[in-house]
Amino acid sequence: MPGAPVLDDIVIDIEDHGGRGGGSGPPPGGDDGDDGQKRRPFEPPSPRRYYTGIALGIVSILMFFMALSSAYLVRRATTTQWIPIHLPAILWVNTLILLGSSAAIERARKRLLIGDLPGFRSSWLITTGLGLAFLAGQLVGWRQLAAQGIYMATNQASGFFYIFTALHGVHLIGGVTALIYVSQRKIDAKKVPLAVVADVTSYYWHFMDGLWIFLLAILYLGK
Amino acid sequence: MYSSALACMVTHDSHDRSPKKGFLGSLGRSVLSFDHKVIGLNYLWLALSSVFLGMGLSLLMRIHLVWPGAHIPLAFGSASIPARYTALTMLHGSLMVFMVLTTAPQAGFGNYFLPLQIGARNMAFPVLNLFSFWATVVSLFGITFSFFASLESGLTLWVASVALFSLGSVCTALNFSVTTVDLRAKGMTLPRMPLTAWAWFLTAILSSLIFSILLAACTLLLSDRVVGTQFFGMPQLSASAIATPSWQIVPILWQRLFWFFAQAEVYVAMLPCLGIVSHLISTFARKPVWALRAVVLALCGVGLFGFCIWGFHVFENGMNPYAPPVFAIVAESLGLPALILLVSWLGTLWNGRIQLTTAMLFAIGFVSLFIAGGLSGLFLARYDLAEASVNDEFIAGHFHLVMGVAATFAILGALFFWFPKMFGRLLNESLGKAHFWLTFAGVYCVFMPMHWMGLLARSQAAPGSSLAYASAGTMLRKFITVATIATISSQVIFLFNFVWSLRRGERNGSLNPWRATTLEWSVASPPPPDNFGRVEPVVYRGAYEFLVAGGGEDFLPQNLAPENVSLSEQASFELTDREGST
Repeated sequence: MPGAPVLDDIVIDIEDHGGRGGGSGPPPGGDDGDDGQKRRPFEPPSPRRYYTGIALGIVSILMFFMALSSAYLVRRATTTQWIPIHLPAILWVNTLILLGSSAAIERARKRLLIGDLPGFRSSWLITTGLGLAFLAGQLVGWRQLAAQGIYMATNQASGFFYIFTALHGVHLIGGVTALIYVSQRKIDAKKVPLAVVADVTSYYWHFMDGLWIFLLAILYLGK
Repeated sequence: MYSSALACMVTHDSHDRSPKKGFLGSLGRSVLSFDHKVIGLNYLWLALSSVFLGMGLSLLMRIHLVWPGAHIPLAFGSASIPARYTALTMLHGSLMVFMVLTTAPQAGFGNYFLPLQIGARNMAFPVLNLFSFWATVVSLFGITFSFFASLESGLTLWVASVALFSLGSVCTALNFSVTTVDLRAKGMTLPRMPLTAWAWFLTAILSSLIFSILLAACTLLLSDRVVGTQFFGMPQLSASAIATPSWQIVPILWQRLFWFFAQAEVYVAMLPCLGIVSHLISTFARKPVWALRAVVLALCGVGLFGFCIWGFHVFENGMNPYAPPVFAIVAESLGLPALILLVSWLGTLWNGRIQLTTAMLFAIGFVSLFIAGGLSGLFLARYDLAEASVNDEFIAGHFHLVMGVAATFAILGALFFWFPKMFGRLLNESLGKAHFWLTFAGVYCVFMPMHWMGLLARSQAAPGSSLAYASAGTMLRKFITVATIATISSQVIFLFNFVWSLRRGERNGSLNPWRATTLEWSVASPPPPDNFGRVEPVVYRGAYEFLVAGGGEDFLPQNLAPENVSLSEQASFELTDREGST
């Protein structure tokens, strides 16, 4: 089926069986088949769906994090004994790394637009590398907190810190997976243009970046 | 008139293909298929098994209410009865709300017929579609098995399963939205979309918002249960909060998150049913939908308002005292879109040439149940009034009438309507009608008395009223239970009809036995894997072009080219042009 990344060993048989599915018979009214001229063959699926899809996906993920944030804010406002945790300094470094990766992915897109494929690939690689560096930095931050004896269940502030960073990290892993997939896929083998895939991935990546800044902000301001 | 030419095409059966391709053969094709029709059908099987399981559970509950001493094997076992009864209620509710009401009208019929109705070949993201289905299956197993586990681990399993279900639902919603926005065939503008497609689209938008929230809430709860965090746990209370008894404080946050999801969820369950009913009523009254655009706006209104009224479930838990009237007003305002829908249904029926097929009976039955259940909803939206006048049994009666029965009637109507398209055979009409009447009478007997019991509980009409309540209550309770047993028994008629017709049902003689206008009726029964073949369908008109007068057919299919409409039909169509046409 067009547009569907079908697994190689499970094939849906869509060959036209003597016009059975194809012609679908004459419409009522005794048509003699002339209207076949007005019916166009199915065009290859437009890539618009990927843009719509990522936009709606981002909205859903945003709602998810909004629910978590509102829980955080309600909790923060209704307790007296809020024990703030000291955010590890590496988080700020990570933020810069993530911002750098957003800049890199934008550079990659621009390179692709002007047709500079090697430039695109190198920028894309830099983005992937910085994304992985961010994840590593998050883990380092976790280790630092654990070294101080602050774990997820220690108190409410730590719980929220860990769950925010963990869930953001999980979504970012998804983003990194997409980045790796894009860099590995063959350019002409699929029906979806590389520019579309790169665009859609970059939207997600920027969203992850912005989301991180938001989460860090409320964690910091809520301390 | 075209049926003879196409009679040979109607028995297309994808499972007849020789299993050369596909390493798992026909089983693999049916459970690992990316075809939206196969996935939709699989959802329907899932919903069908869940509804019977859920009905069985409700039977157990009713029996236990009336005969508490009855020993029911398996259900209660050795664990304490109150805990097991609560678990039973929870399982019944989860199965019915998640696996039947959220699944059958949207993921089941929607997956099957949305691409067909808008002229697409498949959903926008078929792989994601398959993932959603399997997430739902796994969550069904999780929810069911959580009942048999010990209390603590069972609850954790339940929460995890619901989280997985939410994830699947968000993905399904994404698929539906993108498909409707981007995959419509040429000429299928939004105003020409059938109301079913509109309803699926609006439901998808709402679902993608609310299931994300449920997923977040479940994630926090799971973290509490598994890791030991205190997101919902006993907080250190602020000075103002200390004034409220602690047993009320603790669940506040969970309640707010949960009800933000749950209240909108009931409209997610209802919206596809509203679309289906409008569609059925128009088709079987042979009239365009009365005030079509108003109906679309009303559906939007139901979704929008439904999203904003969660607060009336949490008034007792420290909410701002100025909140109740605000939420009550918004909740009451739901009456407006509901009224528009009602007037449209009645306006469509008015002067129509009504064909009382089983599908139409279910659609009209829906209207009756929607009024009955909906009116009590208007009353319940006034929290102060409701709290003083009725107890929870009234609320149970209300939501069962709208969700449990009205929505189910819409699902059954859709099933009777689309069965010929999905299976190439017709369900038996006599059995269908018998089933309808028995069920219709039965559900009123089951759920109306619950309203009375709710009123009785708070009634202070006469001295010694508590005694009167006790005896009246017992009698009513027994009546409800007997009615439940009778109604559930009459579902056997449906089950027999369904299974029998799958095998031996009367073969569908034409592509379009109901003479409907939408695109799914222009393809074979069941449709081929790529729906429309190599050629994309073109849509020339709206979905409800029915004619009151005129020779020949009394309807114009959406994909019939204008030059193929015979002159006499054209003339009569222009004479009777009405708002339904675009």
